[in-house]
Parts: sequence; structure tokens; C-alpha cells
Amino acid sequence: MSNRRQFLQALTALSSLLMTSCGWKLGNVRSGTTSSSDQMYIYTWTQYSDQELLDAFLAQTGIKVLVDVYDSNEVMLAKLLAGGANAYSLIYPSDYMVQKMQAQGLLIGLNNDRLIGLDQLFPQFQNPTYDPNNRHSIPFNWGTTGLIYNSAILKDAPEDWDYLWQNQKTLNKRITLLNDVREVMGAVLRMLGYSYNSKDENQIKQAYEKLLELKPAIAAFDTDAWQNQILAGDLTVAMCYSVDALKVTKENPQLKYIIPRSGSSLWTDTIVIPKTVSNIEGAYAWINFMLQPEVASVLSQRMNIATPNSAVFEQLPEQVKNNPNLFPSPSLLENCERITPLGDIEDLYERYWTQLTSN
Amino acid sequence: MPQKNNSSPISIYLPGNNADIKKTHSPQFNWLQPLVLLAPSGLWLLLLLVLPTLLILQLSLVPNIRPGDIVNPSGLDNYIRIFDPLYLQVIGRSLWLAGETTMICLILGFPVAYWIAQIAPPRWRNLLLIGFVLPLWTSSLLRSYAWITILRPTGLVNSLLSSLGLPTLELLHRTPAVLIGMTYSLLPYMVLILYASLEKLDKRLLEAAADLGANDIQTFYQITVPQILPGIAAASILVFMTGLGDFINPELLGGASSMTTARLVYNQFLGVTQNWGFGSALSMILILVVSIAIALLIRFGEPRK
Repeated sequence: MSNRRQFLQALTALSSLLMTSCGWKLGNVRSGTTSSSDQMYIYTWTQYSDQELLDAFLAQTGIKVLVDVYDSNEVMLAKLLAGGANAYSLIYPSDYMVQKMQAQGLLIGLNNDRLIGLDQLFPQFQNPTYDPNNRHSIPFNWGTTGLIYNSAILKDAPEDWDYLWQNQKTLNKRITLLNDVREVMGAVLRMLGYSYNSKDENQIKQAYEKLLELKPAIAAFDTDAWQNQILAGDLTVAMCYSVDALKVTKENPQLKYIIPRSGSSLWTDTIVIPKTVSNIEGAYAWINFMLQPEVASVLSQRMNIATPNSAVFEQLPEQVKNNPNLFPSPSLLENCERITPLGDIEDLYERYWTQLTSN
Repeated sequence: MPQKNNSSPISIYLPGNNADIKKTHSPQFNWLQPLVLLAPSGLWLLLLLVLPTLLILQLSLVPNIRPGDIVNPSGLDNYIRIFDPLYLQVIGRSLWLAGETTMICLILGFPVAYWIAQIAPPRWRNLLLIGFVLPLWTSSLLRSYAWITILRPTGLVNSLLSSLGLPTLELLHRTPAVLIGMTYSLLPYMVLILYASLEKLDKRLLEAAADLGANDIQTFYQITVPQILPGIAAASILVFMTGLGDFINPELLGGASSMTTARLVYNQFLGVTQNWGFGSALSMILILVVSIAIALLIRFGEPRK
């Protein structure tokens, strides 16, 4: 029976390895640094980089850039904290994550003397709440959270979040919401007249109960897979980020994006230099490269980026400037809020989320 | 142990008789043999299994730890928190999903394995097995996405139904879809292991049973099943454990109610709260459940001697 024993031992080892890998594997993919000055690693979102951009940078500066991508701020942070992101000279965190990373002392303060064209940022991006005076981060792209719907199926356009509740019967299992507790709870809080960042236990409870009413009609909580499903006609309404909506509405113009009237969230993706930077010259060169209006305006059009830079904006064609999905009118943004870290009350959000998705 | 040459696996494969071996290997180096054989895998296990698990154990003993905090084990709070009905419900649901998948795999996999091992022409056997394992060559994520395409409201199944004039079904984003996806992912393991033990079925015992007047059902339950019980146990445990850790299928196919223990652990590490301590405690519980399953297998899975 020694074969059987050996097999069992192998089985035990293998299975335990599978189970234990849940936590650490994600945070520890690569380590080690390269300090060569003609090479640089960047850690960014999938949609913020392509070969054309890297080639253009190489041609201008002679620095070869290698890109790794992540699909969530938290995955990026976990990797950084586990020591697996030492090689990166630049990272693209979202606003609230800049705040978290700064609180943990992971970012270097930017030397504004080495940056060209910072004064061209629109006034509202000069002194953002998540990073006063852009001391550690440079805004790169911004957008909103909203609803995308199929106008061929829905004759009367949704205007606010409560549309989902009012039409719960006809939309049964044709709705997806983001797989993000703060976004979903925040939207409901906003609909109820509270803040996206409510810390009031009673308000959070009300939002949870409201969400529970809608739950039977929700097909899934999902951040990416809705795109194919709404294009195929399996979904009618999806809660989404404007950056994804732009991509999908290009493929099917009958799909329309709206920012709900009672307000939603406003986000900014930024560029930061982590403390573990290995090629600081290259990092500054990259930021300056991205601040060049000629470079950024081409990039904005190719990647649907809503630039926070007035000089870049001026160079865009009229039709891009007037795209309400890319640059919504200021009146629509009045009710929008930034998601901010909330501290210990986040446990309560998480608890309600577990309750919501497990029954 | 090294004194008896029969118990050391390599001596079986060495040419010549035992006396020769005793001459060539002096007795004081006998301990070297198991050491050399076990060192690579032992080191591997120590570095990549035991140490990380101890790290998780250490993390799990720190209440409310957040990224950046110092790991300072101070209590069992994280484990006590698991006994909250909310989390017990999630764990219970995961156990149920894994158990259900195991049952379905067993019911579907047994006849297939039996047919391949006993009834199919021998020259087809390898080909049939390869055919069964073929889906494992693609990514599990891809296979789950394939099921989305099949089950979605305008997908393959529903197009077929509506072309036949039948009402369409709401299949995706429900528990049955999760079970379908998990069963599909894990069935090959079940069939492979069952095949391995069914292939060795002692046919003389079946003939003897027939000679002594047992009918097919009696033969099956009293002769066939006891012989392959270890195989059934090993296959079931493997499927159960893998099912318990699966979160791709529940996540992609399960819709709005897709919370499983694996996803809960993920949320603790990479969600909004980033409570790595609680996540580690949940992982330890998963490891414990799996260990118990394996202990049961070792205790009851061995054939009676």
C-alpha cells in the first residue's frame, strides 16, 4: 500500500497548497529590482498602455519601458506590500488608493521643479481632496460611475438610480451592479439622499435594506463580464464605470450611458512614484512625457481618456470635446462625490455585502 | 526500518538479490538512502507548504490587522468571529456546493469509468481516457466562460429551445449553473481515479459470485463496490476539496448570490476592509476542513486487511 500512501501524501500536499495559495500568491509575483537607467518597469491598468505608447516613449527618451497590469487597486496594493512590486518605478492608483498608500508611507513626494506643464491642469485638479496640491500624484484620467442601458429595449430613459426599483419587474435578471461594495452601497445611499461616504450606521442599514428589495432582480454583481452580455442583449441595464461605457457605446450606439440625477461617484486615476522606485530619472521623464499636450491628446483619443489637462483638452477635436460621456457637463457632476477611505466603519459595509451576496 | 531491504522502495527495482545489495552498501550509510530520496520533496514541502501555512497561522492570531501593521499574535478573536451565523452560513453553503458537486460527479462519473475500464474494447481505452481529460488542457476560466455562452438568456441552450418552439429557461446566474460548471470542471478527476481502481477489479471474484447464484445487483454491491471503495473515497475527496476552493465557477455562473468561503477569504485580503487576519483565520478553517477529510480518507479509505 505504499503507493497509495504516497499518492495520499501528494494529494494532501497538492490540495493544501491550493488552499493556502489563496492569500499569498496574489501578492508575490515578482521580486528583485533592475537599476539600469535605460529600462523601467511600470505597473498600470490594462487600458492605459499599448505598444504604440511605449514605442513613442522609447523614441523620445531612449528608455525601454516594461509594463505589468493589474485589474484592481487592492491587488496592486497587496503586491506592493508583499514586496513583489519593488521593480516598479511608476504606478497608476485611483484617488482613494493614493490616500491609503500615502498614509502607509509608500509614495515619494514629487519634486514639482522637475515637472513641466503642471500648471496646465484644470483648476479642479490642482488641489484634489485625496492629495492636496498633487504632492504625491499627478491626475491622469477621470470619470464617473453611472448606468448604461439599451435604448432599443427601454423606451423611457432612466434618469436616476430609483428607475431600477420602479421597473424591477420588467428588468428582472436583466440588471447587473458593480462588484464593489462601496460603489453599490454608495449609489443607494446617494439615492436615499445621503452621502456616498456615509459613516452613519442607520443610513448604511437603510441602504442595505433598500438593496435587498432589488436583489431578486439583480442578475449579478460584476465589473467586467457585463460588457459582452449587454452587447449580446442578455442585459438591459448595467451599473458601470464611464471608461468601460465609452468602449461599449462605441460598439453599439444604441447603448447609452447616463450619470444618475441624484449623484454618483467621481474618480481620478493618477500616476505616482513609489518609494521603492528603481529608475527615478525615467519616472520623471515618463510623467513629463504624459504631460506633453501633443502626446496626451493622441493618447486620449486612442484610449478614451478624459484628460484633466487643459492644454491637452484644447488639442482635442470638437467632437471628442463635446462627447458628454467623456466630458459631462459640470451641472451633472454637482451631485457626484469621491469615494474616500472610511476606516473601521468599512467592516460594517463588508458585513452587509457578505450578507447580501450569500443569501 | 532501513535494515529490511524490502521496505525501502528502491531496493525492489535494483537488480540482483538482497545479499548483493548488502555487500555494496555498507550498513552505516543506509540512512543516506531515504534522506537523499526525501530531501528534494521534503525541502519543497517545507519551503512552499509548511512555512507559508505557519505564516498564515501567525497572521490569523492578530485581530484586526491591516496591511502595514506589525504581525503581533495576540488572540483568537478572528476564530471567534467565524462563529457568527453569517460566516457559518457562507461556510455551510460552500460545503454544500462542494458536496453536491461530488455526488453529481460520482453518479455521472462511475458509469463512464466502469464502461471504459470493463466494457469498452481495450484498444480504445487510452483514447477514451484522453478524450475525457482533454478539457483539462484549457484554462478553467475559459471553460467557465464557455458555460456562460451556453447558458445565457440568448445562448446556445435557449436558442435551441426557442427554435423548437419551447419556452426559454433562465439558467445563468443561478445555483444550478454553478453546479453544472463545477461538475464539468471536476468530472475528469473523478473518472480518472475511478478508472484506475476499476481497471484492477478482480474478475474472478465476479465470476465466483455469479457461480454462487448472486444476481447482478447483489454482485455489484457486495463484490464490486467493496473492491473499489478506496478509489471512490480518493476521487470523492479530491473533487470535494477542489470544489471547496473553487471560486471561479460560483463567481462567474452564480449571479448575485455567489458568496463562497474562497471568495470570502479573497474579500478579506483584497476587498475594502483588507482584514488579513480574519482572512487568514478563514483560510486556516478551510485547511482544517480539508485535513479532516483527508484523515477520514486515510482511516476509512484503506481496504480492510
